Amino acid sequence: MSEPSMSPTVLPGQERYVDTAHEEIAAIDSVDDSAPPTSMWRDAWQSLRKNPLFIVSAVLIVLILVVALFPDLFTHEDPKYCVLTNAQTGPGPGHWFGFDQQGCDVFARVIHGARASVTVGVVTTLIVMLLGGVIGAFAGFYGGWLDAVLARITDIFFAVPLVLGAIVLLNTFKTSETVWKVILALALFGWTQQARITRGAVLEARNSEFITASTALGASGRYNLLRHALPNALAPIIVNATVSLGTFIVAEATLSYLGIGLPPSIVSWGGDISSAQVLLRVRPQVLFFPAGALAVTVLSFILLGDAVREALDPTSRKR
Amino acid sequence: MSEDLRRSTPTQDQQPGGRRAVPEPLVEVRNLDVDFRTGGGSVHAVRGANLTIYPGQSVAIVGESGSGKSTTAHAIIGLLPGSGRVTGGSITFGGRELVGLRRRELERLRGSEIGLVPQDPMSNLNPVWRIGFQVKEALTANHLDVTREQRQRLEDGLVAESSPRDDDELFLGSASKPALLTDIRGALEDSGVSGTSLDEQMKRWDETLDVGSVTRSEVRRRLLAAKISGAEQIALGHVTGSTVNDRVAGLLTEAGLPDSARRARQYPHEFSGGMRQRALIAIGLAGRPKLLIADEITSALDVTVQRRILDHLEGLTRQLGTTVLLITHDLGLAAERAEHLVVMYKGRVVESGPALDILQHPEHPYTKRLVASAPSLVSQRIQSTKHAAVRTGTPASGVGAPGVGAAQGTAELADHRPLIEVSHLTRRFDIRGSKEPLLAVDDVSFEVRRGTTLALVGESGSGKSTVANMVLRLLEPTKGSILFDGRDALALRKAELLHFRRRVQPVFQNPYGSLDPQYSIYRALVEPMRIHHVGNRASREKRARELLDMVQLPASTLRRYPNELSGGQRQRIAIARALALDPEVIVCDEAVSALDVLVQSQILTLLNDLQAEFGLTYLFITHDLAVVRQIADEVVVMQHGRIVEHSSTDEVFAHPQQAYTRELIEAIPGGSLHIGGAGAPTEPSGTAS
Repeated sequence: MSEPSMSPTVLPGQERYVDTAHEEIAAIDSVDDSAPPTSMWRDAWQSLRKNPLFIVSAVLIVLILVVALFPDLFTHEDPKYCVLTNAQTGPGPGHWFGFDQQGCDVFARVIHGARASVTVGVVTTLIVMLLGGVIGAFAGFYGGWLDAVLARITDIFFAVPLVLGAIVLLNTFKTSETVWKVILALALFGWTQQARITRGAVLEARNSEFITASTALGASGRYNLLRHALPNALAPIIVNATVSLGTFIVAEATLSYLGIGLPPSIVSWGGDISSAQVLLRVRPQVLFFPAGALAVTVLSFILLGDAVREALDPTSRKR
Repeated sequence: MSEDLRRSTPTQDQQPGGRRAVPEPLVEVRNLDVDFRTGGGSVHAVRGANLTIYPGQSVAIVGESGSGKSTTAHAIIGLLPGSGRVTGGSITFGGRELVGLRRRELERLRGSEIGLVPQDPMSNLNPVWRIGFQVKEALTANHLDVTREQRQRLEDGLVAESSPRDDDELFLGSASKPALLTDIRGALEDSGVSGTSLDEQMKRWDETLDVGSVTRSEVRRRLLAAKISGAEQIALGHVTGSTVNDRVAGLLTEAGLPDSARRARQYPHEFSGGMRQRALIAIGLAGRPKLLIADEITSALDVTVQRRILDHLEGLTRQLGTTVLLITHDLGLAAERAEHLVVMYKGRVVESGPALDILQHPEHPYTKRLVASAPSLVSQRIQSTKHAAVRTGTPASGVGAPGVGAAQGTAELADHRPLIEVSHLTRRFDIRGSKEPLLAVDDVSFEVRRGTTLALVGESGSGKSTVANMVLRLLEPTKGSILFDGRDALALRKAELLHFRRRVQPVFQNPYGSLDPQYSIYRALVEPMRIHHVGNRASREKRARELLDMVQLPASTLRRYPNELSGGQRQRIAIARALALDPEVIVCDEAVSALDVLVQSQILTLLNDLQAEFGLTYLFITHDLAVVRQIADEVVVMQHGRIVEHSSTDEVFAHPQQAYTRELIEAIPGGSLHIGGAGAPTEPSGTAS
């Protein structure tokens, strides 16, 4: 075969070798048809549903949502029906968590308090996603002077701490007795983070070659923004929204604790923590239950955010 | 496997008994298995690999991405990434087993015994530290900083040596260099040299006696060679050791960075890609390793820079006696730079042996395929399947030989009328912080004839992609005009522009970036039809299937997503998408540059077939002249935004008019090698040193 052209200086171990046992070679660049097709979202779901972090947080969140929507499934006590003779009584049959200083059933108040917290958290997050998302998307996609103006406005709002801004605002308008006031106050000062994240994600997508290719196909700027840039920016937006949902619930509780959030007529964990404060030394469990419910709720959303981030993180998804 | 080895070893018998003893191998890899643990089990990255390297040799591992070539090299230096583990076989280095060595022992080996020059010069230097500091780190890590040299000198003193040993570690210091030069001057004057001759000689001494690079014995040897009286005393007296900074400068000088003392104080971002790679070479060689692993060190660089760096590395390692293990995907480059080749495919060594022998007589089917499609070794335009299939193993007709097909091509060219006429195209970019605007494209004029391919060739920064973007109407020119089919393309209004876009389509370089990851292949293929309101749902789907068929992908691909496809497949999808609206022109901006050689040639063949079938016109932007030869009818060579040469492909390769074009052609790796075995006048004995 090849000996005539061999150079005489070939050293042992470097002789001509051909792997005759493995001569089959695949067709160049053939498509692997063995696995079912998967989109990015399907892949994310596949990895998400195997993640214990996700399972635990999802179960908790479903439970919290059911509690918030149908509190009567869990308790028949009226949280606002308080009998002073029951004040500070310990747990008993039908009243698992006992009574608070006013003689209200603690369990019933914890169950009914979920609705206020969840409403504020979810609605604020939706408004923030919309407001911050639109501002961020426009700033990131169109750039130029629009970006400069929107970025400065974002910076101004970003400089005001969420809770401080809300306190000032709520103190100024004390009249209304609904959850909407709190929601609007939180949304007004809470959208900046979402705007920044959306801007960054859209900016990154805008500079990718598939947008250039789409432009060369004749697509308009609006088409590119809605069909390419935003869908590709969705992952970080969702992750941030899930995590910030927890922080809005915390902020609501803080405001209610300070007495300027939800009015006393609405049962809320923040308000209950505030009124239980005086019993901290004698009956700490009265404080413990609303605080515990708040902690578990916030933790669930933050854990969910972490799990979603892990599933959507492009660096962990490669082929 | 050992039988296979024996089967092809008749050469040993040819060796007469009186030959000098066979040297000990420096590296012996035997039946190496490497596994990577992944979520769903383990992946066998390397299977039963064998490799033998002798001291002073240069050996190359060739293979496509995922073939296990880098994994094999990283196993030798104990730097397997992530979950990689050696699961079988042995690696010996200088007779010492490396598999199972503890981390500390491996660390001692790295740098001082085995050096590594990594692939990507952009990410392998720490941007916050000066270059000099990073070279110094390499010295300190191997205890080669000044304290060690002082210790060495003390030891030498104790042994009371009067004449320097050959392997001494005393380098010329910047402090003592002036005195050394003065003494040399004195000696030269004493021997009667004077006037301009003296100045010239002194200038040469000044330039060649690099601080921190030449050793005492080297100075002595050179002085003796120049017959300078008192050479021994001069060398002993003035070469008394250097500071660390001198060593850093010396190493950078060796790696080919001029003005190295100043360069050492700069940061990586102040360096070009080629300079960074030189800095990495300096770091890799800082510990004077016996073996240097060069992992695709020039893949990210322009061809001319690549050639210069490889030439320099070759000279330097030969001078230092360093053994080199080259990892590359480029068969031409490997054959040109190494004497022994190892071809890997899917984790196995499929063929190995003397480089030229493999190139001339490839035996394994994979190697045959590789040799047949290596762009640097193919010297003809791909013939479309409509006329003839790509001929494999065609004897290289050499650069100057005019092929029959070429003559036909030129005759046909004259019949085609220009479809795109670019004249005096200029594009300026204002650079922040600089008053001087950058002329990215400067007065560029050319015509692309209907149904032909014009290649725009140049290195990075030549302005070729800027031209492409202006032709695509993605970027407005500062001056000049573009006529498309006789009409001013720059004056098009909205509706006309939409129509223009339908006729002129791009295919971009990055197969991972040009498809929206959220879109299924079906959606990506029907998108152009949706934007242009062509057809209905059923006809669009039918068209998508046709398009997939055109680019030779199965219809099942429709439901897949880009992340499930390889780079080559994505590029075929990008081509299919560009074809969706029956365009007349396709602008390919480095469309095959990111692909493996085999896939690259497959895509080029596909492009050629499509051109033959649909009469497409291509504007082909590339940095790779080897690719140009396979696809282009005409070539425009650009440098610094200007056209330096414009001619037919055969003419450019046969009679390059400009020095720059010649340099580009010569820089094609393996371009000078003759292959194919059909009586090529080569000297196989020239391989071994």
